[in-house]
Amino acid sequence: MSQEPVAIVGAAAVSPYGFGWRGLARSVRERRLSPGPSRELRLVREGALSFEVPDLSSEVDSGDPKNRKLMSRAARLATVAARAALEEAGWRDARDEIGCFLGIGAGGGPLDELRAMLLASLETGRFSQERFAQSGLATTNPLFAFHLLTNFTLCHGAIAHGLGGPNGAWFSRGSGTLVALTEAIEALGVGDCDRALAGGADCALYAGTFLELDRGQYLSRGLVPGEGAALLTLARDAAKPLARVTGWALDSDKARPISNRISDLLGFFDSRIPDALVIAPWGTPTREALFEALARRCAKVLDATASLGESLAASPALAWVVGLDWLLSDGLESVGVLSAGIDGDLGAVLLTRGEPR
Amino acid sequence: MTRAVITGVGAVSAFGVGARRLWDGLLAGRCAVGPLRSFDASAFTSQVGGEVPPGERSDPSSWNLPASTGAFIADLQKRSLLRDSKVLFALLAAAEAWQSAGCGSKDSDAGLSIAYGMEQAFLEDLVPLIYGDRLDFTREARVGLPEIRIRSVFDQASSLIAEMLGITGLSLAHASACAGGALAVAQAASLVERGLASMVLCGASDSMLNPMAFGGMCRLNAPSPRNSPDACRPFDRRRDGLVIGEGAAMFLVESEERARRRGARPLARILGWGSTQDAYRLTAPRPDGVPAQRAMERALRRARLAPEQVGYVNAHGTGTPLNDSAEARAIRAALGASADPIPVSSIKGAIGHLMAASGAIELASCLLPFSRGVLPGTANHRERDPECSVEVIGEAPREKRVEVVLSNSFGFGGQNATVILGRFE
Repeated sequence: MSQEPVAIVGAAAVSPYGFGWRGLARSVRERRLSPGPSRELRLVREGALSFEVPDLSSEVDSGDPKNRKLMSRAARLATVAARAALEEAGWRDARDEIGCFLGIGAGGGPLDELRAMLLASLETGRFSQERFAQSGLATTNPLFAFHLLTNFTLCHGAIAHGLGGPNGAWFSRGSGTLVALTEAIEALGVGDCDRALAGGADCALYAGTFLELDRGQYLSRGLVPGEGAALLTLARDAAKPLARVTGWALDSDKARPISNRISDLLGFFDSRIPDALVIAPWGTPTREALFEALARRCAKVLDATASLGESLAASPALAWVVGLDWLLSDGLESVGVLSAGIDGDLGAVLLTRGEPR
Repeated sequence: MTRAVITGVGAVSAFGVGARRLWDGLLAGRCAVGPLRSFDASAFTSQVGGEVPPGERSDPSSWNLPASTGAFIADLQKRSLLRDSKVLFALLAAAEAWQSAGCGSKDSDAGLSIAYGMEQAFLEDLVPLIYGDRLDFTREARVGLPEIRIRSVFDQASSLIAEMLGITGLSLAHASACAGGALAVAQAASLVERGLASMVLCGASDSMLNPMAFGGMCRLNAPSPRNSPDACRPFDRRRDGLVIGEGAAMFLVESEERARRRGARPLARILGWGSTQDAYRLTAPRPDGVPAQRAMERALRRARLAPEQVGYVNAHGTGTPLNDSAEARAIRAALGASADPIPVSSIKGAIGHLMAASGAIELASCLLPFSRGVLPGTANHRERDPECSVEVIGEAPREKRVEVVLSNSFGFGGQNATVILGRFE
């Protein structure tokens, strides 16, 4: 699908490479990071490898520490990214009209709280609903639930930064993040807002998510869990845009062979001939299928997830930001971004150079 | 322009399984809230809820579905795949909406746009992982515990609905708390209008009536402290909190052209929608109601309607002191001088707050004015509150012909959504 091009006036990313998006394409190209033993997962699986966001400095972290305690890891990353995106775009005024559209992941709370709740709910070694009600619940902060409410990944940032415009959050294992971008574009197109943030934030390192990925046999098929948040700042019109979102496409027809689906999506690009492609495959099967299909078509390909990990709802958005950085740093005319999440859907976004109005 | 219409509806609520049960209950002005039966809530601060009748959950004969569909769901139950009640409710409502719209295998290109609440935690599954005072997940790999889930999968129901009905289109799972159901229906209409889908099964399902979620809400002091069926009193001067409900509502939304082509009878048009964010606090609405007002104004603008064309407002109306006064201000501000005569009601007194599914079930109740010429009443609203100066319909439903209805849904975390439906002639 395509639509009237929308201006990109800035971006933000929090990734395993740290805070910031400029230079991300080069880091990914040079594969400066490899997965390492996971701090987050040490209580879940010994020796598990992951891509983790390094500790954030207090200058860039999300607001006051009291509020931070109410945030899930994904919400914290999203809030950090939102602040950076707004600052870079210089959007200080009328924030109550700025839209916010996010692909988000599952909720995840601190394991210490879960452990305390569980231990206090036992009676002679068995879980007791009565004990849970009488003492298990009391071990946790009443606001523990805020870690689990999925939409709070969006809401914390909106509240912290006063984003009061149209909004939506989609649970995403790939395509939901692209849908968030398309809904932002739609909101700009119909005039619901003139400015919007769109992207994704997620953490695949929560115990529940990690076990889900393990059971789904994604880990054994090359998925390396990661985390991150990335946003594009979009405007209906801008005098000097960094780039434009010129088109997008989504294929959710899982019944067809993936090679055919990739070919069809590349057909979407062929009519626009991007100078380069960023891909974000979740694991080995999609990576191999993408490279096989791309070998004949495009010489310049960057594999974003190979060096950022699979951060589920955040992966497509991180790939867009890598694409944007590549477009600007190498002076390319256009970059296509292909994402293939574990939901089995394929997404394509075309970014083109932002000609001044 | 392609117009989106609703051609099928399904609902599961405290009144029982089926949209007709919901409508009959509302038409009779009944309240279905009562003592919780599916788990022991005696240690919590609240023990009442809008619970789907436990007996109907496992009785396929009460579902009124085609035998094969009923067997599909019953088989999932046997395989313990429906431990999270909202998955069952989603399946039942989706099957009913699909059936009532006259859809079948030829409609497999339909998409899904469904909202859910938070994942259900299965704390009891974790007991085998306790080692001393540690919670040791590495034991899982060592001793092999295939049933440990920690929590349900957020969009499990969507996968099962697609399998049950043979749907292959795009599947969207909304995570926007209590605004989710309304946003899911709005996006379905948007996809149809933009030509990105010609048919979308949409709606929402949720249940927080399990010990972990219900207990968590009690810890937040969200439920009314009254332990009586009339605990939730929307817009009433004595209101003091919500009552948690559970259930689902699903709709078949399609282009008017597709409905006409296949001979489906539209139940309503989806005319407009709008969303905003309070950007205020995590647990309290902005007292002046301005963001909610802007959501309504945005929906009116998209629908190209003047405020005075709205004939009925189905309010979010949670029965909490803060929500109802802020919402009343927002309604008056959005609908201007015409706000006085526009009837407003909330069905949360009758079935409780269905959380992520509230916007969807309330849209299902918004079909009553079109099908029966009746506006639902506000169960337990007995004493007018000067802080809520809108024309609240009392406990009895009101007969009135209206052409346009507006439904509000406001989410925990500050997300606001408004959807406007119109009569299909």
